[in-house]
Amino acid sequence: MKVAVLIKQVPDTTAKVGITSGSVDEGAISKWSISPYDEYALESALSLQSGSGATVVAITLGPERSSKSLIDAAAVGADELLHVVHDGGLGSLSLQKALSEAVTRVGAEVVLVGKQAADTNSGSTGPGVAKMLNYSCVGLVSRIEAGSDGFEATRSTPSGMERVSVKLPCVFAFDKGDVELRRPNVRGIMMAKKKPIEKISLADLGVDNTGEGVSTTSVDYPPEKPEGQRFEGADAAAEVAVKLREEANVI
Amino acid sequence: MSTTIIAEQQEEGIHPTLPQLVHAASIIGGECTIIIPGGGGESEASEIVGVDRVLKFNGSCFSVFDSQSWSSALKGSVGGTVLLASTPRGRELGASLAADIGISVVQDITSISEGINVERPVFSGKAIEKVTISSPAVITIRPNSLDPAGNGASAPVSTIDSGEDLRMAVEEAITKASEKIDVSEADIIISGGRGLGDISNFEKLEEVASTLGAAVGASRAVVDEWGLPHSMQVGQTGKTVTPSLYIAVGISGAIQHLAGMRSSSYIVAINKDPEAPIFTVADYGIVASWEDALPVLHDSIKALP
Amino acid sequence: MGYEALDFYDVDSLLTDEERMIRDAVRDWVDESVIPKIENACREGVFLDEWRQDIGSMGILGAPLKGYGCPGLSYTAYGVICRELERGDSGIRSFASVQGSLAMYPIWDFGSEEQKEKYLPGMATGELIGCFGLTEPDYGSNPGDMVTKATEDGDGFVLNGAKMWITNGTIADLAIVWAKLDGVIRGFIVEKGDPGFSAPEMKGKHSLKASVTSELVFQDCRIPKDRILPGVKGLRGPFSCLNNARFGISWGAIGSAQACYDSAKSYALSRIQFDHPIAAYQLVQNKLAWMLREITKGQLLAYHLGKKKDAGEWIPEHISLAKMNNVDIALEIARVSRDIHGANGILDEYPVMRHMANLESVKTYEGTHDIHNLILGRHITGIQAFTKGA
Ligand SMILES: Cc1cc2nc3c(=O)[nH]c(=O)nc-3n(C[C@H](O)[C@H](O)[C@H](O)COP(=O)(O)OP(=O)(O)OC[C@H]3O[C@@H](n4cnc5c(N)ncnc54)[C@H](O)[C@@H]3O)c2cc1C
Repeated sequence: MKVAVLIKQVPDTTAKVGITSGSVDEGAISKWSISPYDEYALESALSLQSGSGATVVAITLGPERSSKSLIDAAAVGADELLHVVHDGGLGSLSLQKALSEAVTRVGAEVVLVGKQAADTNSGSTGPGVAKMLNYSCVGLVSRIEAGSDGFEATRSTPSGMERVSVKLPCVFAFDKGDVELRRPNVRGIMMAKKKPIEKISLADLGVDNTGEGVSTTSVDYPPEKPEGQRFEGADAAAEVAVKLREEANVI
Repeated sequence: MSTTIIAEQQEEGIHPTLPQLVHAASIIGGECTIIIPGGGGESEASEIVGVDRVLKFNGSCFSVFDSQSWSSALKGSVGGTVLLASTPRGRELGASLAADIGISVVQDITSISEGINVERPVFSGKAIEKVTISSPAVITIRPNSLDPAGNGASAPVSTIDSGEDLRMAVEEAITKASEKIDVSEADIIISGGRGLGDISNFEKLEEVASTLGAAVGASRAVVDEWGLPHSMQVGQTGKTVTPSLYIAVGISGAIQHLAGMRSSSYIVAINKDPEAPIFTVADYGIVASWEDALPVLHDSIKALP
Repeated sequence: MGYEALDFYDVDSLLTDEERMIRDAVRDWVDESVIPKIENACREGVFLDEWRQDIGSMGILGAPLKGYGCPGLSYTAYGVICRELERGDSGIRSFASVQGSLAMYPIWDFGSEEQKEKYLPGMATGELIGCFGLTEPDYGSNPGDMVTKATEDGDGFVLNGAKMWITNGTIADLAIVWAKLDGVIRGFIVEKGDPGFSAPEMKGKHSLKASVTSELVFQDCRIPKDRILPGVKGLRGPFSCLNNARFGISWGAIGSAQACYDSAKSYALSRIQFDHPIAAYQLVQNKLAWMLREITKGQLLAYHLGKKKDAGEWIPEHISLAKMNNVDIALEIARVSRDIHGANGILDEYPVMRHMANLESVKTYEGTHDIHNLILGRHITGIQAFTKGA
């Protein structure tokens, strides 16, 4: 069985994101990492590898620097590495098309992906790729287990969790699971260095990056928070509750 | 341009963001259709001002949330710009639909104006992306970003039967054990300090936490003195947290505590000492005894629509 | 917020990709598994066994050694590992230094084939812990005068004497013990459980509290013949081990200094006195700028020494200079950082006092600061000044 894990390289969640003239200053980002939810997808893929002998293919799409995330994946055990090299913007359809072609190319019946990437915060890739491949799709997954003719996945629902069974081929979009992520050791790191990375372009996959009627006009810092507000007396708590909903939009 | 809104069902009926989505549709303009996958709440939907018609979908596939079969079932009836709430399910279904129809998807927007111009937080809120949408697309809207449209209309409701098959089966529903959320994972944290007076008062925080789906944290002083688990401790030697909301109850705000929570997006402080340093970082500071203020806060939160 | 390693001159960009990956792996481990637990471990005076297991499974023990299950990394990588570990705590770095440079290295360099095969693979994974017994109660800076003695007795050796200040002693499965056989210093492998051998822990330390320090006591301790290290005689044996450990310390001290700088910087920015963050005052800025300056110089020193080690173009005096300088500035940085933290600086909520107390040991062990001065003095003048001329 081949398992594809789609991983995206994003600024580390601890890194400062600087913006100059309407776009993110990528050169100033101090640390790039595999997007956190993708790490859970990778971890699950690796447990399928040790549990049922699956071959794990890590796939990324992004500029040259993203190869590092494939090497990181190899350091913890990914078997094969595929890099779709593309620098610059890409519409959601072209992106999903490229990744689904990449999955077809490696011949994976199971695709694991994070529920959303930490940079764009979208969460469209898993379900979109599934649709393009005509694979089933289970989102918000915290664990999967291979069954006799398919998989069982635990996913969260608005009221709790549920375990669903699904046949292959399937895409699973991962939420955080209560698993411990394996950490690379020296042996893994040394081996990862030797692992070949197959690099291909969008054109190799037959995807052209055409405009899709959606364009980013600028990226800015979020508006400064207003000065702190002070309220006297317990009754003011009612007003604060409303402000938390309406001003801050956090509850 | 016309809009199609896909409503979301939840246990207590239709998701309360629906009138907000209709408001967004009115900004975009053109005819507005609401689709209700699986039905339920259609009369509620038809009363929202600005809705031209409501389509209720019946079919066995709607018994389980399955974005792939749902989008196959719905796509023939979807036209123009498609709006959903930016909930986990809304996003998943929105992404499937967009890929199915062959249009772009723009997720989790927090503002929308004519054009169509939208804004969405990216990099976990460290930046805001401004996007212009010039062709039909799927857009998901973060709940409570827009005012709701009013009530009092009566749009026609029709029913469509779908023969689409489900691609998965539920084997077991697992009701969430009232498992405690870890402070380092939580999006909302309510923490208590020495001002609570006694360890038993942490129960009051637990109650608010369960309403909000929040984690309960504590200052070092009470972790040490009252023997609370170290995993609850927020601060220099405890966890450094960055939730979207941090509620500090009876915490004076020693510099070590502030070091662990000052990067939270919003901070509410309840303390009876107006000079308490916690107020220097609070977005909403309530000078009152927690015994009085916390119940008011709790009740008011519960009373929010 | 999270720890940001000061690297003003971007010295780490000179590392290889693997060296940086190893750095990140160790750094993440320190963040997750050392920082949240270290204060408690210090209060209780314990080295957590999970640290041994984790360090072992990361595969970083005996970093620069090749073969027999050892990692075979560069000396620079070894330095980076020491730096990241010591950013957590000098005690954690001490564990790894002693295991790799002081216990694995002599077996690897001076041991028999059988000894290498028997011990090294298990030591590389942390399943077997080693310690290094050189110092004695009455012989510290001058180990050449040690009194621990080995005598040949039939098919084995009998050891008598005592070692003191031995890192990992009580938790060790084997000890590399330096003792005089017919007046010549030789290395012996003593295993836990050998008759006549005990390793009581020394208690009451104000420094390196999360590191085990022990006495090694030999009372007619009998070991088989094949436990002598065949490949070395004289002080060259222990000193070659110390060269490697000292090299690691020259990097490690930078880790402590970076941690103290990081804490001082964020504290100074958030502590308000006289209506302004104390970071806004010139005197405090001067302290921070001085730290930045010394750390940057220390980093360059350590990096360049790493390259020299890797190229095999070094003399022990190069290492003395780096060990002495970097520990010295780290200790001073810890003290200044403590000062910037005011009273909070003495609390275990901040890492600075712990680093400061640790570095007092680091200044003394592996050749005291002044012994390294004397080594350099002898190098410059050709005149040894360790002993008073007769
Ligand atoms: C926590 C800890 C762990 C240790 N772990 C180990 C271990 O694992 N294995 C091991 O073998 N040892 C270990 N040691 C021992 C360490 O190596 C010795 O402490 C060190 O060599 C100094 O010896 P001493 O303490 O006897 O000091 P001394 O040699 O008595 O020195 C005391 C002072 O006198 C100065 N001095 C000495 N001689 C001269 C001179 N000729 N001229 C001028 N000044 C001089 C020194 O610089 C120092 O300031 C450890 C020590 C500590 C504190």
